[in-house]
Amino acid sequence: MPDASATSGLIAWWDEPAPGPENMAADEVLAAEAVALDRPLVRIYGWSEPTVSLGGFQRLADARAATVIAGLPLVRRPSGGGAIVHGTDLTYAVAVPRSHAWGGDPQVLYDVFHESLAAELRERGVAALRHPGRDRAAGDDERLLCFDRRARGDLVVQTAAGGTDGDKILGSAQRRLRGAVLQHGSLLLEPPPIPTATHPGLLRLHPPAAAWDLRQLVVAWLTRVAAESGGPLDSHAAAYAPARARLIADAAARFREAAWLGRR
Amino acid sequence: MAAAPKFAKTHEWIRLDDDGLATVGISAYAVEALTDLVFMQLPEVGRAVKAGESIGEIESVKAVSDFYAPVSGEVVAVNAALPGNLETLGQDPYGAGWLVKLRPADTAELGTLLDQAAYDTLVKSQPH
Repeated sequence: MPDASATSGLIAWWDEPAPGPENMAADEVLAAEAVALDRPLVRIYGWSEPTVSLGGFQRLADARAATVIAGLPLVRRPSGGGAIVHGTDLTYAVAVPRSHAWGGDPQVLYDVFHESLAAELRERGVAALRHPGRDRAAGDDERLLCFDRRARGDLVVQTAAGGTDGDKILGSAQRRLRGAVLQHGSLLLEPPPIPTATHPGLLRLHPPAAAWDLRQLVVAWLTRVAAESGGPLDSHAAAYAPARARLIADAAARFREAAWLGRR
Repeated sequence: MAAAPKFAKTHEWIRLDDDGLATVGISAYAVEALTDLVFMQLPEVGRAVKAGESIGEIESVKAVSDFYAPVSGEVVAVNAALPGNLETLGQDPYGAGWLVKLRPADTAELGTLLDQAAYDTLVKSQPH
């Protein structure tokens, strides 16, 4: 069990790939646990099959009409933002108590996670930087896919000309609950498993990354995040979900309901 | 003349109006913190709500947040024009940016909420 006596830093778990409803449920359980422990908690995970996660208020009809993701299972996240095609990404969820320094301004938590990864990637030779965000007139809100949008702080790989209009590799979005902030994020490693995928992902943008130990990269990233709160990273060897299987199964039922998926 | 607004710790304001109904909105601090609002879902008129219960959601570019009933009662009106004009929330959060009108079950519940000075103190203590 995590060391609840420490007051700063970050506790992280790694989970095996799971279906969409179970992943969303595990993150909801994570948020409740962050409140109980009064600590920021992170879960790193994958998906048992290619899955599209919709933002909390995206229209289901828009997703159903998009031929590019036709046939893929859909799950609705509690967090905002655009749809993500999972399967070639690394997904994280961080839950932070509202009383924590990262629980106030939404941009703070977003930037802590994104800039920490950017710093780690830059040290490894990737020209990663945070996007300044586009004007609302760019119509990002209406774009279905997260990786077609550019919000302030999104992580992109700088273009050859040195601009910020490069390809996006990391996007995140939040659900601000009563006691905690739950932030979901997706680090795109390779092009998503859809036809005409236009998002190359980190490994295509920086081929040497294919030889990296992904777990080492994430540990280095989260160590930087933890240091921002003045504490260590407590990375657990054990997975998160199995020890909370009953809670997650109960919570997953809601994420399977047609009413949840079709709420908009 | 309507009473001064009271505030919930979750950043909703509520004002008891002359007709006995209570108008509810989101504080300027909370609206500013959300930034770039894109969608809002209001409750159905006629819904009975309990104090502290989520009565709607608001989405900004990066975040989905709930807003909560400051007191128990019945939703008797919603600001139906607001979801299509979310900029109103930022421009006039205590006026045209109101969210719902409640018929309070017990107006004494308003006494448990924060006055302006106490709310200002709460805001100053919030993480930035």
